[in-house]
Amino acid sequence: MNFVCCIKQVPDTAEVKIDPETNTLMRSGVESISNPYDLVALETALILRDKYGGWVTALSMGPPQAEQVLKEAISLGADAAVLLSDRAFAGADTLATSYTLYKAIRNLDLDRPVDIVLCGKQAIDGDTAQVGPGIATRLGFTQFTSVVEIRELNTYDRHITVKRRVEGGFEIVRGPLPTVITVDLGLARPRRASLPGLILSLRAVIDRWDADAVGAEVPKIGLKGSPTWVRRIFSPPLKEGGPVFDGRKDPVPAVERFLDTIVADEELISELFKNPGV
Amino acid sequence: MREEFEVAIVGAGPAGISAALALAEKGIKVIVFERGEFPGAKNVSGGVLYGHDLAESVPDFIRRECPVERNIVESRVWYLSLDGGFNVSFRDRAFEEGLSFNAFTVGRARFDRWFAGIAEEKGALVVCGTTVTDLLRDGGGRVTGVRTDRSDGDVTARVVLIADGVNSALAAKTGFRAEPEPNDVALAVKEIIELPEEVINERFNVEAGHGVTIEILGEITQGMDGVAVIYTNKNSLSLCIGANLFDLMSNTVRPYEMLEEFKAHPMVAPLIKSGRPREYMAHWLAEGGYDTIPHIYGDGYLIAGESGMLFNALHREGSNMAMASGRLAALTIAGALARGDTGSESLAGYAAALQASYVMKDLKKYRRFNRFLLNHKELFSTLPRLGASAAREMLTVDGISKKEKQTSIRRRIQGAIPLARLARLLWAGARSIG
Amino acid sequence: MPQNSKGIDVAAIIPDRCIGCQICAGECPVGAIEMSGGVAHIDPEVCIGCGKCFEVCPVEAVSFEPKRPQETPQRIPGVPEDRFSEYRGVAVFIEVTHGQAAPVSWELAGKARELSRRLGTVAIALIAGHELKDVATEALEYGCDEVHVIDDALLGSYLSRLYGKAVTDLTNTVKPEILLMGATALGRDLASVVATNVETGLTADCTGLDIDEEKRLLLMTRPAFGGNIMATIFCENHRPQMSTVRPGVFRPGERKAGRTGAVHHYPFAPPVGEMPEILEFVRDNTGETGLDIGRFPALVVVGKGACDPESMPMIQELADLIGGVVACSRPVVEAGLMPYERQVGQTGKTVAPKLYFAIGVSGAVQHLVGMQGSRRIVAINSDPHAPIFGISDTGLIGDYRDVVPLVIKGLREAVSKR
Repeated sequence: MNFVCCIKQVPDTAEVKIDPETNTLMRSGVESISNPYDLVALETALILRDKYGGWVTALSMGPPQAEQVLKEAISLGADAAVLLSDRAFAGADTLATSYTLYKAIRNLDLDRPVDIVLCGKQAIDGDTAQVGPGIATRLGFTQFTSVVEIRELNTYDRHITVKRRVEGGFEIVRGPLPTVITVDLGLARPRRASLPGLILSLRAVIDRWDADAVGAEVPKIGLKGSPTWVRRIFSPPLKEGGPVFDGRKDPVPAVERFLDTIVADEELISELFKNPGV
Repeated sequence: MREEFEVAIVGAGPAGISAALALAEKGIKVIVFERGEFPGAKNVSGGVLYGHDLAESVPDFIRRECPVERNIVESRVWYLSLDGGFNVSFRDRAFEEGLSFNAFTVGRARFDRWFAGIAEEKGALVVCGTTVTDLLRDGGGRVTGVRTDRSDGDVTARVVLIADGVNSALAAKTGFRAEPEPNDVALAVKEIIELPEEVINERFNVEAGHGVTIEILGEITQGMDGVAVIYTNKNSLSLCIGANLFDLMSNTVRPYEMLEEFKAHPMVAPLIKSGRPREYMAHWLAEGGYDTIPHIYGDGYLIAGESGMLFNALHREGSNMAMASGRLAALTIAGALARGDTGSESLAGYAAALQASYVMKDLKKYRRFNRFLLNHKELFSTLPRLGASAAREMLTVDGISKKEKQTSIRRRIQGAIPLARLARLLWAGARSIG
Repeated sequence: MPQNSKGIDVAAIIPDRCIGCQICAGECPVGAIEMSGGVAHIDPEVCIGCGKCFEVCPVEAVSFEPKRPQETPQRIPGVPEDRFSEYRGVAVFIEVTHGQAAPVSWELAGKARELSRRLGTVAIALIAGHELKDVATEALEYGCDEVHVIDDALLGSYLSRLYGKAVTDLTNTVKPEILLMGATALGRDLASVVATNVETGLTADCTGLDIDEEKRLLLMTRPAFGGNIMATIFCENHRPQMSTVRPGVFRPGERKAGRTGAVHHYPFAPPVGEMPEILEFVRDNTGETGLDIGRFPALVVVGKGACDPESMPMIQELADLIGGVVACSRPVVEAGLMPYERQVGQTGKTVAPKLYFAIGVSGAVQHLVGMQGSRRIVAINSDPHAPIFGISDTGLIGDYRDVVPLVIKGLREAVSKR
């Protein structure tokens, strides 16, 4: 089995905060990390490789610093890693990103046919969840999104059965390889690198492919290949606080006035009490 | 499967990295273990470094963009009562010109990372996010490597350098150093307060890029043996106040409350006004000085930096002693490796080199200082109070003659502290640092 | 506008304005930005002039003239001035499960009608599925002017490739200038497939849609960085302009019986190759896993201080009364008192209910970013300084054990009077 795992370097958004006074973003010293969903994807690939044998290649697109996430992948046990890095890739939106990754996976596929591509369900900085399906569509592979469990991988008849999250529950689906799987956080718990793995990764030299090496058509990559543009970026407007009633000493009148302001919103009340629940 | 290194270093702080850098420069195969996610990760606050020591390791540290916050051009010493205090300060043009970067403030998180990066360039392997849990030893008790908290986590090394700081779990666990007595360590709390760069320049009366350190003694530590400092960073101030752990325990003072009172002090409050607290942390300091220094070498191992209690409590010099001891350790190790003998005797040169260096000389000079502070609590209570009231009285214009005032002040001092005791205190103080 | 030796118009930092936040450095795709002297510095020779730094800078400290890759759309001889003249209408994909349309589809139908009127065009429903019953008529009643349907047994349950093919075919046939889908699990999956097939831009998870009438552009606003910042995105050179929209953001279109319009049916041309097979559907009986608190019109959100087992029946009673469910803040989940699915905030779920009822929630920033889109926020807290009061429409200071029973009683009375 030949696995490819796509990993994105993202800012640790848990550390991103808003300055309550100026309502601007405070990101000084925010670390870059591997997208947590992608680490689950990698862990899944490693588990499957250890069980069925094979080869795991970690793939990332980004600036030279993104090498860090691939080193992490090596430390965890990936057999190889490729960084797609070229100024021409810069400024890519999801369409151009999925195209670039697709071309790189095709290259790997020529070398050694790819059976399973694993991606995180989404990245924590963008939350778009578009790149995985984009890659699957371009490759023409079977696509399973939001996978929470790998039920069975049959390497003889080349089928995989997964449990995936859908509205209102889960479905168990079986489909043919090759496939692109996007994983949910619950699928696996990323391991901690062993010491030899960590040392290996510190010494590893990561393969770097530019646009030529990827074989990408220039109009389809980077900024040029990106249909969407950002017009404006702003902090979400914070509301002004309304009246606050003090019910510590004498709750009854405070509660009364508190409720009056709520009940005064006729529209709200009629909507809520006309149609309770969903 | 177990990889072999010539030297394994525990801790990527100033001591560990200085040693790693010196060893890697000699082509020695060295691995450094850091428990934080990156060097300095466990050391978020700011501190003062000294150019002389850093230049020994990285001569061109300014050109290599050492992340300096401010070049220190003025040192202040404050002696505070609860409501005011005395200020002695010294500034010299030399610190702006020829002696520039004699002392400077750094954010340790950034500095340690930068410093480790330089060691890595020279070939040292810096392994982060990895805690050394134990030392490996052979049947004869000789240290042969380290055990980490990762799977397959053993590494063998001909020499292990322990440089993981004052609360080195390792030094204590392995019995190389006794668990420090409460009397020999201080607990300090630190807060980083953000202020715009220009505001700091104005409040401290300095040009851009220049900074001030303030070292503070007196009633602020509520009668306990302790000090406080204020350092200027580029756009923040580091406030730190600490007291002897034994005193804290016996007085049941909460360090955080001490910090809050310190921040409200009339000489401190205007400096930090409208600043925003960014980080708060507690930190141990080795205060015992010379007499608490453990046996710093043995069969296959050395101890450097604060792991070895190498810390000058009076001058708050920890990181420079750490760097110096790290470098000396590296020299000793390189010699021992060349001789093919990393036993205790072969490593003994480290202790001798330390003794000959300013590190031990300074620590020896101040060996009684800690004891002196501990035994003279009036330094932190009666004395600043009396001094302040005397100064206040002298400066108050109320129609009473200065002569009368002097007499009343003298009487008051004699009532609070016998003259003989005061004389003994001055004598002991002078001796403790003399 | 400075240029580098390669003739690229590069961005530059305005040092006086730069606050050294390093957002730009993290965002720069080529690592051209380094910090020196506390401010960012852009290496002009490395800069590729993409303008990302300009977009993300919170203090406008980057000087850059945003420039399209093709700033003057190249006119090809023989092609009419308007490249997109063959595209028309604002389309909505109607998500149908078991003959029932997802509520978000009707929310979008209402929005599509509004946007189409501003553009002087039509609102279009695209429907793919099987056993669609009266969904086409419903779509007309909810405000769509025309409906395009592929009804085929192969589309009985959702499979990416089958649905992807059907909706791609519909899109290529109908050629809408805008295509909206609900940001449900299905919608997000399908939208990516369709956008990739027709090679157009897709903006996921939008919380706001607007129109630039002059350029006929859809302005799509969505949260990024876990809700810490909002970005307005547009798609100028590709059609359709695609967006998925979070459920509950817009109100459902007004349903008017008797509205009519054209309904077109198309045969389904399935893709070739073996398709996956759905072996089993596991409904969520626990009510926990997969519970989507974002779908409820009202939430009673408890903080750690108000989450003791004795009070839970009371909290639940309040939630039932206002037609909502109980949710919580992060510390509650961390303490293991409620499952992650119920967590509101940056690291939990972003919600925008009609009524957000906070009890004992202090209102940490990370929590506020996940709920500030709520229509009405009311809060009960014993701490008069709790930040939640700074964002709430109405606040009540008091011990929740004392005041919540009074609130329930008062609310019941107020409602029964109506």
